[in-house]
Amino acid sequence: MPIDYRRFNGPEDSVSYKQYTKNFLKSYEELCNELIDENEHRKDGRALDEARTMYARTNMISQAKGSSYVELKKTKVVCSVFDPREIPNKNEFSPLGQIYCEVKFAPFSCPRKRRALVPDAEEKDLSLSLKKALEPAVCRYAFPNYQIDVFVYILEHDGACLAGAINAAGLALANAAVPMYDTITACSIAVIEDKLYVDPTEEEEYVANMTPAKEGINHGIITVAMLSTLEQVAGFTQLGSMDGTCVINATEILQKECQNIVPIIHQILVKDVIHNIDLSEKLEKEAKLREAALNENMEEWKKLLSAD
Amino acid sequence: MANLLLSPLEKMYILHGVRDDCRSDGRTNIDYRPMELETDVVSHASGSARLRLANTDILVGVKTEIDLPNNDQPGYGKLEFFVDCSANATPEFEGRGGEQLANSISNMMQKAYQSSDAFDLKQLCIFEGKQCWKLYIDILILECGGNLCDAVSLAVKAALYNTRLPSVKTALLDGGNVDLQLSDDPYDNKLLNVDLAPLLVTLCKIGDKFVVDPSAEEENCSVISLIVGATGNKTNYNIDNKKNESCTDSKCTTIVMNGSGSLAPKTLKNAIKQGIEAVQFLDQALGQALLRERRENVTMKKYSYGFLK
Repeated sequence: MPIDYRRFNGPEDSVSYKQYTKNFLKSYEELCNELIDENEHRKDGRALDEARTMYARTNMISQAKGSSYVELKKTKVVCSVFDPREIPNKNEFSPLGQIYCEVKFAPFSCPRKRRALVPDAEEKDLSLSLKKALEPAVCRYAFPNYQIDVFVYILEHDGACLAGAINAAGLALANAAVPMYDTITACSIAVIEDKLYVDPTEEEEYVANMTPAKEGINHGIITVAMLSTLEQVAGFTQLGSMDGTCVINATEILQKECQNIVPIIHQILVKDVIHNIDLSEKLEKEAKLREAALNENMEEWKKLLSAD
Repeated sequence: MANLLLSPLEKMYILHGVRDDCRSDGRTNIDYRPMELETDVVSHASGSARLRLANTDILVGVKTEIDLPNNDQPGYGKLEFFVDCSANATPEFEGRGGEQLANSISNMMQKAYQSSDAFDLKQLCIFEGKQCWKLYIDILILECGGNLCDAVSLAVKAALYNTRLPSVKTALLDGGNVDLQLSDDPYDNKLLNVDLAPLLVTLCKIGDKFVVDPSAEEENCSVISLIVGATGNKTNYNIDNKKNESCTDSKCTTIVMNGSGSLAPKTLKNAIKQGIEAVQFLDQALGQALLRERRENVTMKKYSYGFLK
């Protein structure tokens, strides 16, 4: 890894003090048991199959064509979509429009490490997954030879950031009036010791990616992006190690969770439309008033002219 | 993948063939093309394998190096995948042309091998917290005839199966520095346990059906494919496989949708099941081939074909 020379770097063989803290030295089992109490409630009081409540809004960034902000408790994602532009550095004609996605973590977004400014492997991977999920949702034939830029910035990462990014990007694309086949929503699930944690936090994701103490226990993360009205899976990623039935069970749960998000997105979009209509009506009224005032002035001037 | 031009009529021909379960080369939808596999083809590598799947040609070399383990994983070794798309495959790969494809394949492999159920990195540990083996797995794509992911995963598993790590005679801790002594004897070495190493299977959706092992032409007809990576089975790599009958099911280590299309949830579930079955079948065939190769190696009967075949 390249060293950032603008910061003070300790001696080469120094190790982080965090490695000697109690939290770091915990065994896998301890970490697992910590995630859930005896009443099957998670650390933040949710049941296993309960997703976090979502807050979302549009028109975050005035410079962008469309933008959105999605918040799943502590996971905070901003997305902006820009006008279509010609595909740079390309000579061939492409009959379908392209979507360019970039996912970036804020340097301070992750609890375990500082994110570097250059995009790392995880960010590139997220960008690619986002692109793959958005492609079937957007009517790409509508803008041949053009590309739409989608930028996602993760301000705070507390799990399910790919799902958050897809939700935010779907909302921002709709806000930018990009023609789409359906609203796209996404949700993820973490599998730890054969238990399914819907909409995991960062801590749960971390444990799901760890090596379990015993062999042959299901663990991992699944993220599904859905076009719910069309009943199509737009994106699917699985990581870890789990048997076929576990994957299929999790997919079914995620399918329902994705459907639950759709009304929220619709509500925001409807509000957005109403707001826009109100605004245009208001502007029209103002314009009419201004015109009337001008016309009055004109009449007066005409009278003055004819009086001469 | 590599660009290829097909007329609408040709596409229609492939589509109808898949619908009637008889593809343009006479296979059914669940058949693989014939494969040739040879291990130990590169003398300078610790382990190597060459796999030819019809027109797809993959050469994998494994190099070992001693490295410091990561601070947060003191008892684990390291594994790194590099894919190089040779311009011999298609002129498109010239310069940085194949970079995107290479990155996506190496990412897929990295993800598939990430879980401890797939590959136990503890076996690469030499001295906990101080030294470990780092395996560089270099994948060279010599020819591109469709279905790269499957071919790469098979070749990688064969190369890892063939990898020999020199055995460590002594490891002394001297004032915080590790003093290693490796064995000089080329026959005194340690083999890796790769029984559970995952294989990838690409399921290409053409029309309403899924096709396994698509050729380059078939890949061109499909807008969506599903890559399923699942672990192998221990019993396939044991010589006395009758003793060990505790057959464990394959576990999915990575599933990715590739392409710009989408799938109905039901189709997706069926495809995942079909993919796991295909992995089990492939793993069995690979296990048999590798066991035979090892037996021949022991009895010095093996004839090396190299690239002359």
